[in-house]
Amino acid sequence: MADPFLSIQHVEKSFGATKVVHDFNLDVEAGEFVSFLGPSGCGKTTVLRMVAGFEEPSAGHILVGGKDITRLRPNQRNIGMVFQAYALFPNLTVAQNIGFGLRVAGASRADIDKRVAEMLALISLPQMADRYPYQLSGGQQQRIALARALAPKPKLLLLDEPLSALDAKVRVSLREEIRSIQKELGITTIFVTHDQEEALSISDRIAVMYGGKAEQVGAPFEIYNRPATRFVANFVGTLNVLEGTVTDASAGTVRVASQDVALKGKLDGSRTGDTLSLALRPEAIALGARPGHDSKLAGEIADVHFLGSVIRVRVGVGGKQISLDTFNNSSTPPPVVGDKTEISFSSGDVLVLH
Amino acid sequence: MRTNRIWSWLFVALAIAYFALPLIGTFEFSLKMRRAAYSLDAYAVVLGDPRFQQTFMYSVLMALATIAVGVLLVVPTAYWVRLKLPHWRPFMEFMTLLPLVIPPIVIVFGYIRLYNTSSWLPLTGSAMGTNVLLMFGYVVLALPYMYRAVDTGLRAIDVATLTEAAQSLGAGWVTILARVILPNVAVAVLSGAFLTFAIVIGEFVMAALLSRPAFGPYMQLLGANRAYEPAALAVIAFLITWGCMALIQVVSRFAPKPPEQLH
Ligand SMILES: Nc1ncnc2c1ncn2[C@@H]1O[C@H](COP(=O)(O)OP(=O)(O)OP(=O)(O)O)[C@@H](O)[C@H]1O
Ligand SMILES: [Mg+2]
Repeated sequence: MADPFLSIQHVEKSFGATKVVHDFNLDVEAGEFVSFLGPSGCGKTTVLRMVAGFEEPSAGHILVGGKDITRLRPNQRNIGMVFQAYALFPNLTVAQNIGFGLRVAGASRADIDKRVAEMLALISLPQMADRYPYQLSGGQQQRIALARALAPKPKLLLLDEPLSALDAKVRVSLREEIRSIQKELGITTIFVTHDQEEALSISDRIAVMYGGKAEQVGAPFEIYNRPATRFVANFVGTLNVLEGTVTDASAGTVRVASQDVALKGKLDGSRTGDTLSLALRPEAIALGARPGHDSKLAGEIADVHFLGSVIRVRVGVGGKQISLDTFNNSSTPPPVVGDKTEISFSSGDVLVLH
Repeated sequence: MRTNRIWSWLFVALAIAYFALPLIGTFEFSLKMRRAAYSLDAYAVVLGDPRFQQTFMYSVLMALATIAVGVLLVVPTAYWVRLKLPHWRPFMEFMTLLPLVIPPIVIVFGYIRLYNTSSWLPLTGSAMGTNVLLMFGYVVLALPYMYRAVDTGLRAIDVATLTEAAQSLGAGWVTILARVILPNVAVAVLSGAFLTFAIVIGEFVMAALLSRPAFGPYMQLLGANRAYEPAALAVIAFLITWGCMALIQVVSRFAPKPPEQLH
């Protein structure tokens, strides 16, 4: 196996007596796009700043291309960084901002001009070269900041919630632009966000963080469908959680809201009488029977939200409400609140949370 | 409402009279050198006096040196305190206010004791050394204004993030100060510089006690010995000060606009 391009090994960070990052480990392949996803205060920024060199780890090592950079100063690392607040230099034009890194490195005038033109074309803002930052929208400023970070051809690109200050529409289009530029350049990238949709849609892999630790690292599909911990299951996506009691561990039956549910092969390690949490994604549940769905529960329609292409229905099952999504179909009228109904799902889709 | 108006106008008129009458009187008197007619004779005498030219040039050079040293001292200090030692800010504010509380005469006697010809650093032993000493005295006098101006300028930019952005692009401290911080506080530095200029041009106590040929002692000397010329000189000094204030107003129009504000 090839050595990872970026290797974060047993990194810890304390501010005074409080430890905010605990034994953080992550290997990133060259050209990979990895997101750090987690709630506020979980240490995403702190880990990123240690990679950039703005914070010194209390323990552990950070290697880039096999070289230990843990003690290098930030200006000796050649790592590009994009900030939430854009941080363009207000006294410099767009072209001067983009050329800043090359100028510091002592590149020739001609080389700088050439690279600046290339970068402006890459972010599709060629006509903006002579503007000042205050003459640009937030989205444009952030694209310039991206071009500025990429211009000196950094080994690594770090982005700390680069889209949080932008409005929803720009956020979506810019995240796709960032991803396509990243693929085009093949640059190894770490992207910090607390927006799960953002992380799921553009990452090769996601590190879900909680309390200063990486709870799970995996591809978006894996994180979403096979969350390793209760926290990951809850944090990523919408989740219905039902409490159940194991009625027969060997047969795989669980009693939920006075109804028996069969969960074949899901109860390894549980004993009869244990209480469990059963989690289900809204899209794994159908109203009524469906081929391949081997488990069902009776309930009553509690709420219907028409969202356009999707209808989100809430079904009351023994005092709990379960959300499920059905696709809109112009020939079928939506369900009616108060109707008795049956929901079905595949026992293979149930996540058992201990 | 109506009576309010009258009272405010009355106060404005009183204030104008309080500030303007002595000036008008001085100005009027400075024109009376020639008997029976207003003339600019006093101004011609003053401006033609070689000692005026010498002392004025001396003070202008001192002011420029004071500004240069003040900027080199204050900008990195204020920057560093904002970036790394924010808990030191109250202490720094207090320190930089001290020159307003301690009279210059105390400062200069302290200097003379510390740097006299029999001390470990005999600055007063030579003219150049005394000039350097006087210049540092001026830096101290200007400190409250310079520090405050620069600190206010720094508040308008996101010092920490701009520093980190520059660092991630490979910049070291000198580059960051020269290419990122200084240009963004240039307007604040300039207004501090004009204030410093006005202070140095009019300063008397330090220059006199260190017996340097500065403009302040010259004004005093002239005032003690002549009638009309000191009035003309006072008007000239006022014009210089006002010119500096006007320049502060002018440069602040060129302050770089901050980019779209967050939050
Ligand atoms: N310089 C500092 N001094 C003391 N504590 C700090 C410092 N920087 C961060 N912390 C603490 O470390 C923890 C992690 O902070 P961090 O900024 O890494 O969180 P985050 O995951 O980026 O959160 P957010 O999503 O809000 O940006 C927080 O509890 C924070 O209060
Ligand atoms: Mg953060």
